[in-house]
Amino acid sequence: MFARRRFAVLKNLLEYIGIEPGRLHFSWISSAEAEKFQKTAIKVCEAVTALGPAKHMIKEIGKVA
Amino acid sequence: MTDKILSKDQVAAFIDSLKKEYQVFAPTEENGKIIWAEANSADGLLWEFSNTTMSPKDFFFPQSECMARFKNDPKAEGGMIMHPEPELERSRVLMNIRPCDAKAFQLLDRIFIQDEVTNDVYWRDKRDKAILVGLACNNPCPTCFCTSVGCGPHHEAGLDILLVDLGDSLLVKPISDKGKALIDDLPDAKKVDKDKAAQLKKTSEASITSGVTMDNVNKRTVLELFDLPYWDRVSESCLNCGTCTFCCPTCHCFDIQDEVKGTDGRRVRNWDTCMSWLFTVHGTGHNPRPTKKERVRQRFMHKFKYIPEKREGEIGCVGCGRCVQLCPVNIDVREVVNQMNA
Amino acid sequence: MENQAVTERIREVAKRLLSDGKVSCVIGFEKGTVPMRERPYFAYTPEEADKLIWTSFCCNNLANFLIRRDLGEAGKIAIVAQGCVSRNIVGLIKENQITREQVFVIGVPSPGMLDRNKIQQMIGANKVITEVMEDGAELVVKGRDLEERIPRKKVMRNNCYTCVQRNPVIVDELIGEETAPTHGGNIDNVAAPWEKLSIDKSWEAFADNYKDCIRCYACRDACPLCYCHVCFVDETMPQWCGKTQDEADVATYHILRAFHCAGRCTDCGACESACPMDIKVRRLTSKIEKDIRRMYDYTPGMDLESIPPMSVFKPDDPQEFIK
Repeated sequence: MFARRRFAVLKNLLEYIGIEPGRLHFSWISSAEAEKFQKTAIKVCEAVTALGPAKHMIKEIGKVA
Repeated sequence: MTDKILSKDQVAAFIDSLKKEYQVFAPTEENGKIIWAEANSADGLLWEFSNTTMSPKDFFFPQSECMARFKNDPKAEGGMIMHPEPELERSRVLMNIRPCDAKAFQLLDRIFIQDEVTNDVYWRDKRDKAILVGLACNNPCPTCFCTSVGCGPHHEAGLDILLVDLGDSLLVKPISDKGKALIDDLPDAKKVDKDKAAQLKKTSEASITSGVTMDNVNKRTVLELFDLPYWDRVSESCLNCGTCTFCCPTCHCFDIQDEVKGTDGRRVRNWDTCMSWLFTVHGTGHNPRPTKKERVRQRFMHKFKYIPEKREGEIGCVGCGRCVQLCPVNIDVREVVNQMNA
Repeated sequence: MENQAVTERIREVAKRLLSDGKVSCVIGFEKGTVPMRERPYFAYTPEEADKLIWTSFCCNNLANFLIRRDLGEAGKIAIVAQGCVSRNIVGLIKENQITREQVFVIGVPSPGMLDRNKIQQMIGANKVITEVMEDGAELVVKGRDLEERIPRKKVMRNNCYTCVQRNPVIVDELIGEETAPTHGGNIDNVAAPWEKLSIDKSWEAFADNYKDCIRCYACRDACPLCYCHVCFVDETMPQWCGKTQDEADVATYHILRAFHCAGRCTDCGACESACPMDIKVRRLTSKIEKDIRRMYDYTPGMDLESIPPMSVFKPDDPQEFIK
């Protein structure tokens, strides 16, 4: 429940600086909800895949300056 | 070597001639700040300014510099072998650099390039490929104290050419052979020009009234200075941020890290600061400079005692005054040194 | 009350507290050696108290100096505090860094501090300012071959325009009289300036804002909220944040620094005043605090009783984003 407030703030902050909304997902899943976990994981993967590779916060250490 | 004269309306042509061989950089104004930027023409050149916010040391010692690259895969052919970075492609001219900053590089040469073993190829490559065209300060800032640390507003040490602004024209003083070769074609300066430049130098030097006194600092032993009770007071307001060390033209400490991502790997060195707790903390957890007092003391002792002890009295500060202007809590190096001397 | 009168009153109170042995030290400001920058000063004797001053260039947050002080033995410490600083003292008390009994608050209603960078830019980046004097609603800026009068309001720090409480919220002795709590600006109108932008433009604005960062960490070190013994950027095992000037490393530092201040930032502006590169670091913290006002109806440091928003929850807290 404390995490809920932190995540609410963090989510807004990341969108505010230009990280696309679909990259960050939150779910309530109890340890007894295996099916919900499985379905959520698939949904998250699909959403992130649809957005394509991340554009920001990527450190290109192989790139010769 | 003969002094030359360059009228200000010929500066553009002078830059054009430099550009054939060099990349030319100069201080300019951008968004209300004085910064270093590439100068493609005479537009934007400043003739009246105090100095750039940051020192130009990052031309030779970038804040983050890749030293080598490697394939992060021990099993692959050629894996984990360090490969050097390419050298600087084009030589550079730093135009209108202030004499204090040039003097700082001369000092840093003695630290980065000491002998065959201590011969920093990264620093050396960029230094060898640079021409420093200084612009004498005719109107020093109230925070300037170069004259008291072995430098001065018209100081020539470390420069290849010194320009003195005479109003409509610049007196062009060749200092090194490298510098002389660039200005051979310019007309010789007349006596009246040279006299004017000499007068400007005198006036400028006289206008610097603040300074540090070093006689007792020189006489006292390292331990006497180290144990001064004054350090408790001066460190009290220090935030232990790295502003003073990062804006300083002579601070040169760095931290080396290997970074990997997948099979990419590189070795990077980044500016480090003795103000930071992390700077001295050991792998054991022990920190020989545990509080900000030890860290603050280090910076001043290094510049005003350790470096002079090791380098025949040469002071590790050129009096540019950047740290005085930028310290968020206004710890003023002049006051600190004068207290060390008191 | 004019600055000179406030200065005299601060000295008077400080001398009395020190000579009566009520406090061991008075933390205030003394005149800086450069124009537009007064500096923190620690007076231990009544004589030293004569150095204390008050002007509109007292831009450090003195609450910063209460942390990591050996308060146990030293007894009480007096501190000169305007609205924001007193709110940070409240924050430190709530976060159990100090106790109310350990501090004696010499409260001063804030005149609204001034931004040296704005003044310099108004006069010209290449001009040398040698003296700035305050004259009522105007400033007299002097330099080589220059003397200009500029209205204070034009060069006030951004955070002071939108201050929500200029008067100290806890006080042991008030200097002068309470003033209007605000300067009339509404923080919600200017906080979080990139909210209106598209997602791509937001990143552009964010990256551009921090492009000059030299990672000196002055913004962190000037902040009374940052009292961790080892900051996450200084941790090495594991190293959470890269050390380079790479945009990703710089961004990581600033995002996390701001996020660690969530629900705690009083918008005192000490971070922006400390920044040697004049970076507008409040653009992140102002967004976070705006969200916290909107979602949890909380403004940090206003009183000793309320519970910090990140240490509490309500069953009906917003959670549309949780699927």
